[in-house]
Amino acid sequence: MYPGVDCNSPLHCLDLNLKIRSYMTDKMDITALRVNSISKSFSNIKAVNNISFTVDQGDIFAFLGPNGAGKTTTLRLLLDIIKPDNGVIEWSLNGKRGHLPEARQIGYLPEERGLYPDIPVLKSLVYLASIRGMEKGEAKKAAMEWLEKLGLANRAKEKLQVLSKGNQQKIQFIASILHKPAFAILDEPFSGLDPLNQESFIDFIKEINNQGTTILLSAHQMPLVEKLANKIFLINNGEELYNGTLSGIYQTFTSHKPDLHEIFLHLVKSHKQ
Amino acid sequence: MKYIKQVVTVTSWEFSRFFKPKNEAIGIVVMLLVSVIFYFGSKIALADSDDKPAVSVVNGTDVALTEILKSDYTINTITPEEKRSFIENLSTERNTILLETEGDIVLLYAYKNNRSIKDLRTHLDEYHRQKEMKKIGLEPAQLAAIMSPAPVAESFVYTDNSKNRVILAWFFAGLMIMAVFLSFAYQFTAITGEKQLKITEQIVSAISPQVWMDGKIFGITLTGIMSMLTYSLLGITGGVLYFQFSGTLVSTILDYLYLPSIALYLPFALTGILIWNAILAAIASIITDPNNSGKSSLMMLPVVFVIASLAVTRDPDSSLSVFLSWFPLTSATSMPMRWAITEVGIWQLAGSFLLLLLTFYFLRKLAAKIFRVSILITGKEPTWGEVYRLSKLS
Repeated sequence: MYPGVDCNSPLHCLDLNLKIRSYMTDKMDITALRVNSISKSFSNIKAVNNISFTVDQGDIFAFLGPNGAGKTTTLRLLLDIIKPDNGVIEWSLNGKRGHLPEARQIGYLPEERGLYPDIPVLKSLVYLASIRGMEKGEAKKAAMEWLEKLGLANRAKEKLQVLSKGNQQKIQFIASILHKPAFAILDEPFSGLDPLNQESFIDFIKEINNQGTTILLSAHQMPLVEKLANKIFLINNGEELYNGTLSGIYQTFTSHKPDLHEIFLHLVKSHKQ
Repeated sequence: MKYIKQVVTVTSWEFSRFFKPKNEAIGIVVMLLVSVIFYFGSKIALADSDDKPAVSVVNGTDVALTEILKSDYTINTITPEEKRSFIENLSTERNTILLETEGDIVLLYAYKNNRSIKDLRTHLDEYHRQKEMKKIGLEPAQLAAIMSPAPVAESFVYTDNSKNRVILAWFFAGLMIMAVFLSFAYQFTAITGEKQLKITEQIVSAISPQVWMDGKIFGITLTGIMSMLTYSLLGITGGVLYFQFSGTLVSTILDYLYLPSIALYLPFALTGILIWNAILAAIASIITDPNNSGKSSLMMLPVVFVIASLAVTRDPDSSLSVFLSWFPLTSATSMPMRWAITEVGIWQLAGSFLLLLLTFYFLRKLAAKIFRVSILITGKEPTWGEVYRLSKLS
């Protein structure tokens, strides 16, 4: 019996009890993404082979692996750009569950960057946020705030093609998180950036994470990943090599100094052998 | 509702990307300038040609011939002794012509058989006609009676008074071709260009390939329609000006702008443009590099079908014309043309239009499917076989 709950028979009380417990369990569930045994093959190549992981709300989840390991394919599977051959992907964002995340809830920075070069920066940003369901006025305001933060407010009306590569990268980053997604997938967010901008991006990622956005990050720069991630998934040849916390990986590989780069190389090389 | 909102967002984006009122205005101004230059250029050219062309005749040539020529030509008479040197000089004096009669034959000497010779021939034919009439004692009025058409009192159940409707049908066909050609260029920029710029993956992570494709098709169609409207207004203004200056009543233009015809032609033309945009979008989706793709030539397909569709004007009641007016890739132009020329039942119009709509519905689905598959293939351009295989897997 729960205080304040009226029931008129033992069976009715049991039924109500179960319903309330189920409701409470749902409320307590902090999983944002659950991936269960997914696989994907192209012709004879097994790009992703039976991998499983979960990302909890508030995590910065690093998805690591060498080139061709299956990272981008996995990210495309998560976003339903391609379908898995088998396995289940379940999203739970802002109380909504399903195999497909709502566009508004997801931010995506693809590995293959690209924006409209001949269109003013602000116009492109507003469009990309509006196709994710953000109102135009709200998108414009948020875009100006981010441009201000990244020191590009005075270039809002300039065409993207006149900006430097680093600044284009910043615009691309803004485009992926402008609509304040519950979950952001950032594929190689540091590539093409100088060390100074890499450090700035770490701060930006931490900031959006502190504001409530769960991050799934794919990157090659291990020292930067170490500064950000609380969980790590290591993939090679489409297969899982490690899945756990950052502190856990240091404890598991005590023979190595606490250096993610060293551990990464050791795991990948031993998996190949 | 969400689908409609997203399609509207993509449509308005594509439309604003490609429809530039400033560029459209510049295009119109350039076109008007070129027209003005041509108009005054031809005036000047015609002013130069006010002088009568010269024809030389050898002394002793039939007077009847010179009488016929003298209204349109300046006649120079030369002596038989000068004839030889005249002929020898034809290589340098290339615009000179020499005539001489020898019995029933007219001897003509010139550098080459050009347009002025063709003009001269009509006068020579007239000379020949008059000479032959004189031989048999025929009066001009008698000849006119012989040459006049048979007097037939016609009585038809279906009266063909379609001239104005046909002109309007041609006008719409022209506008449709123009819109499809504009789409041809825009689809490359909108789809292949976007693939090259690697924007697509970001877009399809937010919206479905179907929304993206529908937005492209509608946005670019809208751009084509805006150009159609601009040039229609320009055409109507041109027509009004032509009637104004040619002494015809300006209100004559209203005979051509027959509302029921427009109400029929417009939906056919719009659906036709949508169909071709869906086809062009599907082709553009599979092309990775327009400069090196063997599939780029497929973008010329609309020309073949539009030209084929015009075959209905030869015999609108033939089996081929009936087929063309039902076949969805030609019916957008063929059916309105047939309706303008011959008797077409309402059920035929409705049936053909329904088929057109259904074709568009399925083609846009096919285009989205092809796009979804083609974005997965990086590096080399996929073959149609690969697209088919992957479409079954994805």
